[in-house]
Amino acid sequence: MIAILEIVFRLALWLLVAPLLPGIINKVKAWVAGRQGPPVLQLYYDLARLWRKSVVMSTLASPGFVIGPAVAWVALVVAALLVPLGPAGGALSFKGDVLLLVYLLALARFCTSWAALETGSAFEGMGAAREVSYAVLTEAALITAILSLSVQTGSVMLSGMLSLSSGPGALLLAAGLFSVLLAENCRVPFDDPNTHLELTMIHEAMVLDHSGPLLAVVLHGAAVKLLLFAVLLSEAVLPLGRLPPLAAAGALAGSVGLVTVGVGLVESLLARFAFRRVPLLLTIAFLFCLFALVLAWIGGAR
Amino acid sequence: MNPTLNLLIGLAMGLNLLALGSSRLPAIIRTMAVQGVVLGLLPLVIEPAFGWVVALVAFVTVAVKGFVIPTLLRRAMRTANIEREIEPSIGFVPSLLLGALGTIAAVAVARALPLLPQDAGTLVVPGALASIFAGFVLLVGRVKAISQVCGFLILENGIYLFGMLLIRSTPLLVESGILLDLIVAVFVIGIIVDRIQRAFDSLDTRKLTALHE
Amino acid sequence: MNIGTLLFFGLGTLVAGIALGPRLPRVWLALTIAGTLAMLGAALSMLGGGSAWEWRSGFQLGGETLHLRLDGISAIFLALVAAVGGLGAIYAREYWSDEQHPESAPRSRLWWCAIILSMGFVLLSSNGLHFLIAWELFALSSFFLITLDRSARAGRAAGWLYLAASHAGTLCLFAFFTALAARTGSWELGPMRGHADLGALFWLALAGFGVKAGLFPLHIWLPSAHANAPSHVSAMMSGVTIKMGIYGLIRFSGWLPMPDAAGWTLMGVGSVTAVLGIAFALAQNDLKRLLAYCSVENVGVMAIGIGGALLGAAHGDALWGRLLLAGALLHVWNHGLFKSLLFFSAGSVLHATGTRELSRLGGLWRSMPWTAVMFAVGAAAVCGLPPLNGFVSEWLIYLGLFDTAASRNPSAVMAMPATILLALAGALALASFLKAGAVIFLGAPRTKAAEGAHESGPLMRGSMGALASACVAIGLAPALLWPPIARAVGIWNPAWASGAPPVPLFALGMAHVLLAGLLLAGGALLWRRVHATGMRRALTWDCGYSRPTARMQYTGGSFSAIAAGWFSWILRPERLQHRPRGPFPERASWVERAPETVLERIIEPAGRVVMQLSNAARRLQRGRLQFYIVYLAGGLIALAVLALWTK
Repeated sequence: MIAILEIVFRLALWLLVAPLLPGIINKVKAWVAGRQGPPVLQLYYDLARLWRKSVVMSTLASPGFVIGPAVAWVALVVAALLVPLGPAGGALSFKGDVLLLVYLLALARFCTSWAALETGSAFEGMGAAREVSYAVLTEAALITAILSLSVQTGSVMLSGMLSLSSGPGALLLAAGLFSVLLAENCRVPFDDPNTHLELTMIHEAMVLDHSGPLLAVVLHGAAVKLLLFAVLLSEAVLPLGRLPPLAAAGALAGSVGLVTVGVGLVESLLARFAFRRVPLLLTIAFLFCLFALVLAWIGGAR
Repeated sequence: MNPTLNLLIGLAMGLNLLALGSSRLPAIIRTMAVQGVVLGLLPLVIEPAFGWVVALVAFVTVAVKGFVIPTLLRRAMRTANIEREIEPSIGFVPSLLLGALGTIAAVAVARALPLLPQDAGTLVVPGALASIFAGFVLLVGRVKAISQVCGFLILENGIYLFGMLLIRSTPLLVESGILLDLIVAVFVIGIIVDRIQRAFDSLDTRKLTALHE
Repeated sequence: MNIGTLLFFGLGTLVAGIALGPRLPRVWLALTIAGTLAMLGAALSMLGGGSAWEWRSGFQLGGETLHLRLDGISAIFLALVAAVGGLGAIYAREYWSDEQHPESAPRSRLWWCAIILSMGFVLLSSNGLHFLIAWELFALSSFFLITLDRSARAGRAAGWLYLAASHAGTLCLFAFFTALAARTGSWELGPMRGHADLGALFWLALAGFGVKAGLFPLHIWLPSAHANAPSHVSAMMSGVTIKMGIYGLIRFSGWLPMPDAAGWTLMGVGSVTAVLGIAFALAQNDLKRLLAYCSVENVGVMAIGIGGALLGAAHGDALWGRLLLAGALLHVWNHGLFKSLLFFSAGSVLHATGTRELSRLGGLWRSMPWTAVMFAVGAAAVCGLPPLNGFVSEWLIYLGLFDTAASRNPSAVMAMPATILLALAGALALASFLKAGAVIFLGAPRTKAAEGAHESGPLMRGSMGALASACVAIGLAPALLWPPIARAVGIWNPAWASGAPPVPLFALGMAHVLLAGLLLAGGALLWRRVHATGMRRALTWDCGYSRPTARMQYTGGSFSAIAAGWFSWILRPERLQHRPRGPFPERASWVERAPETVLERIIEPAGRVVMQLSNAARRLQRGRLQFYIVYLAGGLIALAVLALWTK
C-alpha cells in the first residue's frame, strides 16, 4: 500500500513540477531582454487548453501519428520514475537500470521521430534527420558520462552512482552533461525552440504538425525530459548523499532551479550555432565526459 | 604546490584542444598567448625559493610569449588580411579527436616512463608530450601559414615544459637563448608571410609548391 | 521423448523432403515442418535440462566413425536453425511458389532441406573430418539457394563472390582441423585444454569462422549475397548461417587453450565491425543491403561478448565474463529472430512492389498494414529498444562491460572504448531503421510500383507474426531464458556453472511488463481522447507549392546524409549528378551509390595486380617442348643445390 502511495506521489511530483521549467526559462530570457515575458505557469495553461482542442491530422498519416507521442510520453515518464530523487532513491531500482534509462530515452526519440515522419513532409524529414544524427554524438557523450560515474563509484545502479561524486572530474562532468542537456532538449546553441523555419529547426520540426491533445502530450513529455536531465546533472555533480535528507532535497531543488536559470541565461546570451558546427560542439561535450572518465580511471588506480 | 602546478598544466592542455578546434585565427593566437602566459608562470610555482632570477625569467617569458609574439603575429595577420581557416587538411573534428587521443596517450606513456619520484606525480611530462603532439597536429593539419606558426609555438611550449624538469640545473642563459630564438623566428616568419601574401595573394602554403616548377 | 529418436526422426523427414520436395510441394511443407519441429523438440529438451547426448555409428564415413554430440551450446544454435528453417519453409511456400517461379521453386525446396540438414550436422559433429564435410555441404547449399533465380545477373555474381569467400574461409578451416588432428593425434573434437601448443591455431579458426560470420574486413561477400538472394534465403542466411561462424568461435574458444591476445583482438575486431557495419548500413538505399550490413553490426556485438568472455576467463574467471558470454549467446537467438522477421517483411515488400529501392517506395502502410507493423516491431527490436528482446541481450553485454570497468580490471582498457563504440553503433542503428521504416512505409507512394502494392497472404503474415510474437515474448520474460543460457555458459567454462543469475533479469522482466502495460494503456487512452475531441483530416502543408509530387518527400539518402558524411572517409560514396541548367530545367538527376569499400577499393585492385602478374608469368608457357625440358632440368638442379646446401 505504502509502495503504491509512494509511486503515486513520485509520479505527481514529476508530472506537476515538469511544466514549471520551461516557464522559468522563458521568464529568465524575458528578464535578460528587458521584457515582462509570459507568466511562469504559462505551460500549464497551454497544456490545459490543448487538451480540450480537436486534432487535425494529415491525410497521409497512419495511426502511428497518435500512438507515437503516447509511447514517447510513457517512455519518458517511466524513465523519470527510474531516476533517484536525492535521498529518496528511484521508484524501481536494480542493477543496470541506468541502461534502461538511456534506452527509454532512445525509445522516446524513435517514436517522436516516427510520428513526425508520418506526415510525409520534408520539414519533418529534415528535422528528424538532424535529430537522430546529433543523437549519435549525444548518446556517446551520455554513455561516457555514465561510464565515468560507474568507474568512480564501482556501481552500475543509478542509486549507487549518483549523489556520491565530487573531485576534479565533477567539473568536467558538469560541463559535459550540461552540453548534453542543451542538445537533447533542443536548447540554444544547438537548436532554437522558438524557430519555425525549415532551415533552422531540429526538434520543432518534429512537433510541427501535431495539434490538440497530441501536442499537449509532446510538450509535456519534453518538459519531463528537461526535468529528468536537470535532476541527473545535479545528482551526478553534487555529493547529495553526504547531506541529511531534508538538506539534500533542498539542495537538489535549488540545483535544479540553478540549472534551469543557467539554461535561460545561455539561451539569452548565446546565438544558435550553424549546423555544420554542431558536431564540433557535441564532440567537445563528448571530450569533457571522456576526460572525466580518464580522471576517474587514473584517480582510483593510483 | 602540486595541485596548483597540475591545475596550471591541466589548463594548458585544455588550451591545446581549444586551439585545435578553433577556426578563427585571432582565437588561435590568443589561445597560444594565454598558454604561453600560463606556462611562463610555472617557474614561480615550481621553485620553492622566490629568487630574483626566477622572477626575471618568468616575467620575460610572459612578456615575450604573451605579448611580443602575439603582436608580431597579429601584424602579419593584418598584412595578409585573413581572419579564418576555411578548409584544413585534417578537419576540425578529426584534429580535436586526435588531440584528445594524444593527450590520453601522453598520460599513459608518462606513467610508463621511469621518472624521478618528485616528477612522477605531476602532469609536467604528460603536458609536455600532449603539447608537442597538439602542436604537431596543427603544423601538419592546417594550411594557412599563421596557424602553422601557432602550431610551432605550441610545440615550443611543450619543449619548454620538458625544460621545467631541469629548472634547477638550466642556467638563465639557455632560457633566454630559447626566447631569443623564438622572437627571431617569429619576426622572420612575419616577413615571409608578407612575401607569400604578395606573391600569391593568399596564405595558403600549398601554393608554395608552384615554386618548384 | 528421447533426444536421439527426435533427431533421427528429423533426419529422416528432411531426407525425405530432399527426395520428394521438388515434385510434391505440400508434402514437402509437411515433411519440413515435421522435421524442424522434431529438431526443435530435441534442442528444447536438451535446453530444458538434459545431459549431453552422444552417439557413435557402427559404420565409418571417410575413415572415421560418425560421432554426434548435442550439448547445451549446440542446442541453442540447433533450436534457432529449426525455428527459422520451419518458418522459412512456410514463408517460402507463398513467397517462392511454383506459380511464380516454375523452374526454381522445386530446387528451392530441395536445397532448403539440404541446408537445414547440413547445418544440423555441423552443430552435431564431434569429429573434425565430418565437421568439414558438413561445413562444405552447407556452403554449397547456400550457394545454390542464393543463385536460385538463374536469370538474375546480380544474383549469380553474388553467388560466385559468396562461394569464393566461403572457400577462402574453408581453406583456413582445413588447415585448422588438420593441424588439430596432427597435434592431438586424432580427428575427435572435445575439450583440449591440456595441449599448450594448440593456442596458435586459434588465429586460423578466427579467420575461417570470421569469414562465415562476417567480421570486418572479412565481410565482403555478405552484403551482395544477402541482398540479391530470395528473401527467405536471406532470412536463413542472415539469421542462421552466419551464426555457424559464431558457433565455431564459441565452441573452439571453449575447447582450446587461448593465446593471450585472443580476447583483446576479438573485442577490438568486434567493436570496429559493429560501428563500421552500421555506418555502411546507414548509407545504403537498397533495403536488403541495409539489413545485410546491419547483420554485420550485430555479429560485431556478438564478437564483443565472446572477446569479453575470453578476457574474463583469463582474468581469474571473473563474473563479468559470464555476463558477456550470456549476452552474446542470447544475442545469437534474438538477432536470428528479429533479422529473419525484418527480411521476411522486406520480402513481403519486394513481392508486393517488385523493388527494393527505398527511393521508389513509400506510403505502404495503407496497402500493407500488417507488414508495416511487423517491420516496426523488428526495427524496434534491432535498435535495442525496451521492452523487446534486442534490449535484453544488449543490456547483458553492456552490464558485462560496465562491470569490467567498475571493477577496474586491466581489461577495462579495451572494455571502455568498446562500450562507447557499442553506444555509437546503437544510435546509428536507430537512425538507419528510422530511415528505412519511414521512407518505405510512411508518407505517400513515390512511384506507380508503390501505389500498386498489396498485402501479403496468410502464410507470409503468419510466419512474420510468429517471429514478432517471439521477440515480444522474450522481451517480456527474459528470466525464463536464463537457465538454458547459464547451462551453456557453464559448459563453455565450468568455473561459471553456478546457477544464480548475476543480474536481476527478473526485475528487468517486471519493468518490461510494466512498461508494455503502460504503453498499451497510454496509447489506448490517447486514441480515445483524440477521437472524443474530434479529428479532421487535411493535406500536409506543402509550403505553398502549386504542383507538389510524392517525389518531393524527404529521401532516404538525404536522411542519412549528415551521419553518413562523418564516415565518408571509409564509405567513399560515388555520385553521378546532372545539375538542372537554365531557367526552365527539364532534366536533372542525382544518383548516389555506397560501394562495398573493402571489396571494391582494396580487394579488387589487389586482384587486378595479381591478374597482371599472372599475365606476365604466362609468358613462361611457350608451348615448345624444348622450353619445358629446360624448366624440368632447371628445377632438378635447383632441388639438388637445395638438398646439398641444407645438409
